[in-house]
Amino acid sequence: MMSPNNALHTFQEDLKIITSLESLIALETQYLGKNGVLNDALKLMKSLDPDARKTLGQEINRIKRTIVEHISLKKSELLSNVDERSLVDVTLPGKKYESGSLHLATYAIEEISAIFERIGFIRMSYPEIEWEWFSFEALNMPADHPARDDFETFFIDTPVHEKWGKMVLTPHTSSGQIREMLRLGKPPIRMINIAKTYRPNWDSSHVPMFHQFEGMCIDKKINITHLKGTIDYFAKEFFGEDRETRLRPFHFQFTEPSFEVDITCDLCAGTGRIADEKCKLCKQGWLELGGTGMVHPNVLTAGGIDPKEYTGWAFGFGVERVMMMKPGVGLNNMRALYDGDIRVLEQF
Amino acid sequence: MNIKITYHWLLDYLETDADPYELQKYLSLCGPSIETVEKIGDDYVFDIEITSNRIDMASVFGVAQEAQAILPLFGKQAKLKFNPLNTYSFENLKAEPTKTHKLSVPIEDPTLVSRFTAIVLDNVLIAQSPELISKRLNLSGIKSINNVIDISNYLMLSLGQPVHMFDFDQIKDGVMKVRRSKKGEKLTTLDSKELILPGGDIVIEDGSGRLIDLCGIMGGENSSIKGDTTRIVFFVQTYDKKAIRKTSMVTGQRTLAATYFEKGLDPERVESTFAYGIELLQELTKGVVCSELTDIYPHKKQETHVKAYLKDIQRVIGVPIEEEKVTSILTNLGFTVKKHEDTELAYPDGVHFDVTVPTYRVDDVSIQEDIIEEVARVYGYHNLPNTISPLTYIKQPKYISNLHTVQYRTKYFLKHLGLHEFLNYSMVSGDLLNTLDYQISDHLKIANTISSEIEYMRTSLLPSLIKNMKDNSGRKNHLKLFEFAKIYEPKTGDLPQELHRLGVVVNTDFEDLKGIISALFQELTIGNILVKSGEHKLMSSAASIYRGDEMIGSFGALHQKYAEKLNLTEQMYIAEIDFK
Repeated sequence: MMSPNNALHTFQEDLKIITSLESLIALETQYLGKNGVLNDALKLMKSLDPDARKTLGQEINRIKRTIVEHISLKKSELLSNVDERSLVDVTLPGKKYESGSLHLATYAIEEISAIFERIGFIRMSYPEIEWEWFSFEALNMPADHPARDDFETFFIDTPVHEKWGKMVLTPHTSSGQIREMLRLGKPPIRMINIAKTYRPNWDSSHVPMFHQFEGMCIDKKINITHLKGTIDYFAKEFFGEDRETRLRPFHFQFTEPSFEVDITCDLCAGTGRIADEKCKLCKQGWLELGGTGMVHPNVLTAGGIDPKEYTGWAFGFGVERVMMMKPGVGLNNMRALYDGDIRVLEQF
Repeated sequence: MNIKITYHWLLDYLETDADPYELQKYLSLCGPSIETVEKIGDDYVFDIEITSNRIDMASVFGVAQEAQAILPLFGKQAKLKFNPLNTYSFENLKAEPTKTHKLSVPIEDPTLVSRFTAIVLDNVLIAQSPELISKRLNLSGIKSINNVIDISNYLMLSLGQPVHMFDFDQIKDGVMKVRRSKKGEKLTTLDSKELILPGGDIVIEDGSGRLIDLCGIMGGENSSIKGDTTRIVFFVQTYDKKAIRKTSMVTGQRTLAATYFEKGLDPERVESTFAYGIELLQELTKGVVCSELTDIYPHKKQETHVKAYLKDIQRVIGVPIEEEKVTSILTNLGFTVKKHEDTELAYPDGVHFDVTVPTYRVDDVSIQEDIIEEVARVYGYHNLPNTISPLTYIKQPKYISNLHTVQYRTKYFLKHLGLHEFLNYSMVSGDLLNTLDYQISDHLKIANTISSEIEYMRTSLLPSLIKNMKDNSGRKNHLKLFEFAKIYEPKTGDLPQELHRLGVVVNTDFEDLKGIISALFQELTIGNILVKSGEHKLMSSAASIYRGDEMIGSFGALHQKYAEKLNLTEQMYIAEIDFK
């Protein structure tokens, strides 16, 4: 058992060699902790007579105060030196973690779904290998429609179904319109379908498979202003508040009236000119976003919905296309997304 | 399709105070989309996109008629100077022609040709076209050749009806027999290409049995107009659109004429085009009509009627458009409108319109919604407010929301572990399947594929991922790839089962792959997972993954025999897991 005075002396010796906060804290515990040197000394007091006990008690308290002061002083000294004495070269690289990547279509699908979820549209999924009836007949595209020929649609080599016709690789996501009408039985409908679509077209700028997203809203009293407002909402959310949209008359079999949606060009800010040159990206300030329109009464009927009571709108846009049109993405050829080159894909 | 026409050409038909740029802006919003305007010399060239339902608009006159309806709503004057469909008719064919020459036109199958008109002209003088015509054609992207050929093209762009001219003396006995081609028949077209016909194409043969025309697409070289031609056959027809499209696509002859005919043309317009053509030929080539007019037109095309309610027009467009505006828009577009009002009924339906649809719009306008579109577009979509569709709650099926959640969490987790997402085509080549010992017959086959690379629908993600790995070999030290996609399991008499799968492939080691899979299950808090030694056709040291009693996937090393076959330089480790 150390005498209190001895304890102070050894403490002061020990303190001299302390250079870090960690060892200072250990030293503090060694002297002042529950089982520390001073507490050990206090435990001895029980056996002393009252006078001696008092004297020793005062002595220990004095030493304790001294030790506390010393530690506090040393702590401030050490803390003030911390920054200056850091041994880490912070400019060296850290531990290396490999970074992965997701396909651009994944990011697009995620963002598009979220934008439409906010206004109450649910994302659904339907078959990607589909019957002709759902892809064409029900969408008001009769058997002689050019989109149904071998140059526009992939057909599966299977026996023709008596009722549903041939099997096709979905050339558009619009078959989802019929699937959703039949699933729900009756409106209201607010649906977004994002899926793979296929066309027999494969060259320097086309790929035989890509993604589309289809939106559809059917209810009582749905009119063109709803279509216009919803698409404008999407465009501003996805591309930016500063972008404007316009509808142009167009033609699709499954909508009437039909429109094409344009959005102001990002590159030339919708002016069609950069410096004194024509903008190479757009057509005089406008970029085509995709097709849309009011659901054709024949399509509603095919989906079991009374066109006299309900109206609706639908659109189908290309996922890769809108992603490539997004400012800052910097990708101008869809093929790059499907050529499977790690050097391209790892950038996203 | 796109056509090019010029501003001054348009002014032949249209009286207006709108400048070319105003025309572009206003027409694009409400009618044909004028993609570009280019000033060349003292004229302006419009490049115009025409939708497939509005082939009647693919002409100078068609655009003028649209302008007449659209421009007034922007405060611009616009009026047709004359309507060529009324101005030109067979009645204009002046005087009694000398009938020294004869055409004989047997039509083998009347469904091929809805109308066939032809006439012979003599004393034709082949020369340069007047500057006005050659200049306008050149600006419109069509090379000026000589007066006769230029007239053909000028007519096509003026009124939207292609026509053709032959050298009459090259047509044996004046016989033009219209029939379907037989497979393998040969014909050399004007551009000196020898075509072997697919069969079923509409062709014309002369009295000697040789083919002189691939109808609706391009004339034969043997009967073409030469510098010394003096007698010509001028002919204008409308054909079965499906036959034209098929021949054009299969032979690869995508001529401008074919893109017109394949949309389906109005046989009524044949007459005005023909009469205008004769006028131009007589004036510019000094030709004289020397045969009777042939006009085979068994089923005259009729106008139709569509009933449209004002309340429905307003309901679908979403704004209260006035009755007068509806009438003036439709009338300016060439419709005839009669207003009716039901007041007698207990619940009156209000005002409705009986709309007479001109023959050139009959194929496109047949129901009330078509009328609504005409009114809405000319009224102007830009004049409609933006309203977000009213909110309502629709329940998303739980299995769908779960699937999407798991998909995102899996993808982001793997990305954060340093893996790269690939998206491959759903179709693979038979070669790849064979190499990896898959049964070709277990796969759905595309009947009309365009490449053997994309012929069979995948039943596993692994073949594509193995190929990705091989293709990227050497591009990066550590390659760790994954794909989350559907596979397609054939079912008899029904659509295939589409199953969601995750495929992973790495070139590091077994431990790495197993670590990734274990970490993923932990991340997704999927418990009850057991890994047992198992078998997989592509793998050596294969492991099966069980969730409870159900096997949900496998992982292991790619079997050496496939590494051999594929000439792989490094070992790869592969995994495939079902996601339900």
